[in-house]
Amino acid sequence: MAEHLDKCPECRAEAEEIKRVLEKADAVKAEIREAVASVNWEALPAMIADRVLADARRPEEAPRAARLRAWAFPLRMKPVLAGLAAGLLVGATAMYFALRSPGPRSGRDSGFYASREFLDRAELVMARRNAVDYLKKSQYVLLDVFGSAGEGAGRAAFNSEQVRDLVSRKKYLNAQLERSQMAKAKAICDQIEMLFLELSQLSEEMSAAELQKIRGFVEERQLLLKINLVRKELESEI
Amino acid sequence: MKKLSAVVSLLVLLAAGTGLFAQTAPDETLFREAKLLVFDKDWDAALDKIDELREKFPSSPWAGQALFYKGECLNGLGGRQREALRAFKEYIQLTGAKAGLVEEAEGRIIDLASELYEKGDASAIRDVESRLGHENKVVRYYAAYKLSFVSDKKIAAKSAPVLERIIESEKDAELLDRARIALLRVSPESLKTVEDRKPRSGSGRMLRIRIRDADSRETLSLNIPIALANLALSAMDEEDKAAIRKKGYDLNTILDELSKSKESILKITGDDGSIIEIWID
Repeated sequence: MAEHLDKCPECRAEAEEIKRVLEKADAVKAEIREAVASVNWEALPAMIADRVLADARRPEEAPRAARLRAWAFPLRMKPVLAGLAAGLLVGATAMYFALRSPGPRSGRDSGFYASREFLDRAELVMARRNAVDYLKKSQYVLLDVFGSAGEGAGRAAFNSEQVRDLVSRKKYLNAQLERSQMAKAKAICDQIEMLFLELSQLSEEMSAAELQKIRGFVEERQLLLKINLVRKELESEI
Repeated sequence: MKKLSAVVSLLVLLAAGTGLFAQTAPDETLFREAKLLVFDKDWDAALDKIDELREKFPSSPWAGQALFYKGECLNGLGGRQREALRAFKEYIQLTGAKAGLVEEAEGRIIDLASELYEKGDASAIRDVESRLGHENKVVRYYAAYKLSFVSDKKIAAKSAPVLERIIESEKDAELLDRARIALLRVSPESLKTVEDRKPRSGSGRMLRIRIRDADSRETLSLNIPIALANLALSAMDEEDKAAIRKKGYDLNTILDELSKSKESILKITGDDGSIIEIWID
């Protein structure tokens, strides 16, 4: 083998490589021997047991706390960033509700609805309209009574149904006018009501004396003029 | 002076009406004088006349009718509602009471009982409730209307069946509107049911109004029957109405535009950034 190694350079190089590896292995063996010699083999099992039990006492605490610390760390370190995040959250919620509430959407609140305040306003509008209507119709009835007297021989006629209807309507007006504080309209409507209550007690054909009485009564209190004035005032507010 | 001349003219007319002035019976004169004072709202003087009539002529044919006017005086004087209520109740019990005045007396009883209830007399409301079943529909309707204003929701809700019947059966627009508003106040769901049930096409349709201010806050939200559209648009806040007018709309054009298409939505933006949306479902 020695003769061949002298003649063959490849085998000689390989042999030298193996020799170097073996020399290194001897060196490692010596280090291991030194390490093993330094270990306290009697105390080793107790040390291993202590470390295992200590890990078992806090199985997940360490990772969770670590995650929390990792999450909070940037916020704790940067309060401006935390404020910004909270602001964004509140803003987004507000925007959601703002855009969600007003728009027309089918299926939403399908029933009738009106606030008490709005209904009060509607009542006020209705009171004005109804008072104007009542005054107009009262005027017609009175003019009818006086007009019919001019045509006949001193007798006057009126439609008792109309009169009764107006007396009946006045009940609703009382409630509306009182609530709406339309004192002037209420006063004139009250006078008309009393007059019509009287008329409703009479027969549809009045005698000349009865007609004269009504006419005098109306003229004395300038009822037609007052009706006109209050009516115009109410109409301008509608 | 005016009052004196009125009394004089009344006496002259009374004389003409009954033939001769001298023949006018003193009880009748007292009664007519009292009525004239009632007309002028001179309650104390009128009450004196009525009391005189009833004391001096208890069996006069006018003494019974004077009870109605006594109720009027006591009611007008204020603070004597209970006495007024008693007078009206007494009048409707009279044999020979005039039908027209009985109907009026019933109305006054409803008014006075409602007033007493609102002032704390809880039992007074029974006088209104009991009239929900009155044989005279004028009385029945008025009782329901007045009851709808009562602050106790449970009591107010008792008016709903009568109000529903008014909406279903009455033709008078004024009465219908009143009944709708009253029912909207006490039971909006009953109004929806009755409007849906009505055979007339379109009566169940709903007008919706939403108003948002510049900060997108909803300042008005309204769902009402289309029949009340005109009233609702008139009852809007003055500023909102002004914004609508400024954009060239009036109530008629709004209703015309909305009625063209079932789903059309009218959107008006005011100068202050408020947005008014009106549509019909």
